[in-house]
Amino acid sequence: MMRANRLQLAILAVLAALGMAAGAALAQAPQGAVALRGGKVMTITHGTIENGVVVMENGKITAVGAAGAVQIPKNARVIDAGGMTVYPGLIDSETHLGLSEITLDPATNDMVEPSDEITPHMHVYDAFHAESELIPVARINGITNAIVAPASSNTLPGQSSFVQLDGRSSDEMLLERDVALPLNFTGEQRRTGNGEGRKFPSTRMGMAAQLRQTFLDAQEYVRKLEEYEKSQAEKDTQPAGENGKRKTKERPKRDLTLEALLPYLSGKKPVVLAAEEGSDLKTALRLADEFGLKVVLNHISHSRDLLDEIAARKVPVIVGPIYERPKDHERYDAVFRLPAELARRGVKIAFASWDEHNVRNLPYQAGYAVAFGLPYEEAIKALTIYPAEIWGVAGHLGSLEVGKTANVVVANGDPLDVKTDVKRVFIAGREIPMESRQTLLRDQYSPR
Amino acid sequence: MRHSLKSLRCLAGAGLMLLALASAAAAQDVVIRGGTILTVTHGTIQNGSVYIKDGKIAALGEKVEAPASATVIDATGKFVTPGIIDSHGDTALDGDVNEITSPITPHMMMEDAFDYDDKGIYRALAGGVTTSLLLHGSANMIGGQALVIKHKYGKGREEMLFPGAPRSIKFASGENPKRVYGGRQQMPSTRMGNFAVQRQALVEARDYIREWEEYEAKVARGDQEAKRPKRDLKLEALADVLRGKLLVQIHCYRADEFLTEMAMAREFGYKVRAFHHALEVYKVAEQVAAEGVAMATFADWWGFKHEAWDAVPWNAVLSMRKGVRVAIKSDSGDFVRRLNQEAAKTIRYGGATQDEALRMITLNPAWIIGVDDRVGSIEVGKDADLVVWNSHPLSSYALADVVLIDGEVYFNRALPGFGMPQYREGQ
Repeated sequence: MMRANRLQLAILAVLAALGMAAGAALAQAPQGAVALRGGKVMTITHGTIENGVVVMENGKITAVGAAGAVQIPKNARVIDAGGMTVYPGLIDSETHLGLSEITLDPATNDMVEPSDEITPHMHVYDAFHAESELIPVARINGITNAIVAPASSNTLPGQSSFVQLDGRSSDEMLLERDVALPLNFTGEQRRTGNGEGRKFPSTRMGMAAQLRQTFLDAQEYVRKLEEYEKSQAEKDTQPAGENGKRKTKERPKRDLTLEALLPYLSGKKPVVLAAEEGSDLKTALRLADEFGLKVVLNHISHSRDLLDEIAARKVPVIVGPIYERPKDHERYDAVFRLPAELARRGVKIAFASWDEHNVRNLPYQAGYAVAFGLPYEEAIKALTIYPAEIWGVAGHLGSLEVGKTANVVVANGDPLDVKTDVKRVFIAGREIPMESRQTLLRDQYSPR
Repeated sequence: MRHSLKSLRCLAGAGLMLLALASAAAAQDVVIRGGTILTVTHGTIQNGSVYIKDGKIAALGEKVEAPASATVIDATGKFVTPGIIDSHGDTALDGDVNEITSPITPHMMMEDAFDYDDKGIYRALAGGVTTSLLLHGSANMIGGQALVIKHKYGKGREEMLFPGAPRSIKFASGENPKRVYGGRQQMPSTRMGNFAVQRQALVEARDYIREWEEYEAKVARGDQEAKRPKRDLKLEALADVLRGKLLVQIHCYRADEFLTEMAMAREFGYKVRAFHHALEVYKVAEQVAAEGVAMATFADWWGFKHEAWDAVPWNAVLSMRKGVRVAIKSDSGDFVRRLNQEAAKTIRYGGATQDEALRMITLNPAWIIGVDDRVGSIEVGKDADLVVWNSHPLSSYALADVVLIDGEVYFNRALPGFGMPQYREGQ
């Protein structure tokens, strides 16, 4: 009996050890070198190589070049990419991935906090659901990174995160936790409901006044903090008062809302300013200038009269969805043409799906923008290196370059065409199973 | 006095002559030359031509005889397809898609709400759409009767109605009716309630038919006492469903509901023409195919509610391979502008051929609407509803260059402004 117990324990110990080993192997899956050989390699930053090789090891790109010019490590797993296109993982510059599962089911939605208009202390990372079924659907079409932003119904809805669409937990996936602050000024944020639904601000004037007051309050908060810190620093050099104590300033009570605004007021991080029409954009830009905000523009679908001014400001613009309807007085292609019009003026653009379920279709709007005059090179950059630059991650993402994170996509054709099938996706060097809830359902109901 | 009457007559005569000239201009012969013709039903003609006479396709092929007077549209290097057909449109209804006060409103007529001035008609036209079925929303189990239009933006209301198109009626099921009425603590608030409400309405329609038949029989026998039943618009519409006079278009997502809807149709002796949205047809495609019911679906839209949670982008092709007639539709003022791209997705998701993909936005939706003998393919005798594309339409990059309806150009991308030769701003 004792022996058996010992034996059982021993077996359990071995199993546990094996389990741990298996776990470790999984975690370190990307360690071995992988070489993609023979594909058309779109490096983005160093041209396109017709018969190229990309080598990945330890989650990084270790070699990129023409076949023959690149030494493939002896131990590498070599994948034939002949006839394929190899390109860096695509970046979606605005999604709600991980904040919503089923649109109409409130229990599955954490999109925005509706109780107030000014909620910059909401952090997407506090809600981001790493196991969302929507994420595999997006990534198996080659989208490997995304901005996750709160929904746009508040003027300051909270801070966005920059995520990687694979990982064992939200910790691994949240690459930049507070990357930017959306500032929405489209009229949608007015509280114009009937009866009890109507409250301040119910006009754009109210929205602007509320934003201005908020930023003034934040500036005041900074001033008080600075005074406090100064008095703390000086307290040892100040003469003691009559009661023998040194006078110091009181520490201002912590205010999470105002605190959240500080990196944006100091221009350390970008404010993503969304306005659709010229009049709204002008007001929002006045506010941004008044408080010295570092601006990324977003959603400027009906501001075509301001495109030269936007170009002169040298600010990047998130375009998309270009599928938004033109106004009735506008030609049918007014919004479809926006990316081309911006690129023509030298504006750096990045595409965004503004969606969660349909993130996978991101490359097709770039293709459609090409049909309406956007140069192809600009279109593909607006899905890769440009968003990487805008979000401050170009050092490790956005192109196929040695030393960058191995986010690599292999597809059987042009990445921007609707007919193209994505065959393999690597994220941080790990080959992603080409599976989603949808492929599983397809296989379950496919003819055997 | 006589004199002025005479001059009036003269004026009238001149007016008639002008009218005659105008209609002659409308019937101007056109020949499209040098394009790749994707006929949908008879393969592809390289470097082909289409000759249009009196608004109809009169000839097509590699060599086509056309009078020297015919207007020539040069399609060299371009692609020609039939006009795209949307079997589920919601534009041009000014938001009046649901009479949301009762779950059974079969007597609500889309033609009474048709906003022919809606620029959505133009934006779809610029995407190559020439015919749409405008349908009710899905708040009600039976929403009302649909409207078939041609996208002749700039012409008057009457010219936009598809002449002789069969009548369709919109049924719905699932989440929407139960959410709308359940939210008010009214019937229906469950799928059981949905179908009970629908069945009750059909039972009443059956009784209504019997009442009228009995009355007419009495009249035929010469019964002077026969009492004429009261006409009831609602029951008349439903009676026409039972008499097979209406094409039944059903908004329906879930596999079990397709089966229930088909069982109810058998029970009451009508045919279902098509399931719309139809996101789970891939699960029961054999049964749907066996009943001869078509489907009008999204290419890849999903997840917007529970009954869209099991949607897969392979639905269209998986179902087609089991024998279901499949259309890709818009149900959206956005998708309708690029249905060609939506159809192209079926090539990637499941391996549809180019002809099969094109059929999903031309001939198959035409069948769903009941106008496939008139439009939906490039064949001699069919309406000359044609699109000239700048490149192969099944891609991200294709743009409609010229769109013709009944042989007239309604959209020409090369023109300034809206690109609509038939339209003047402010008209």
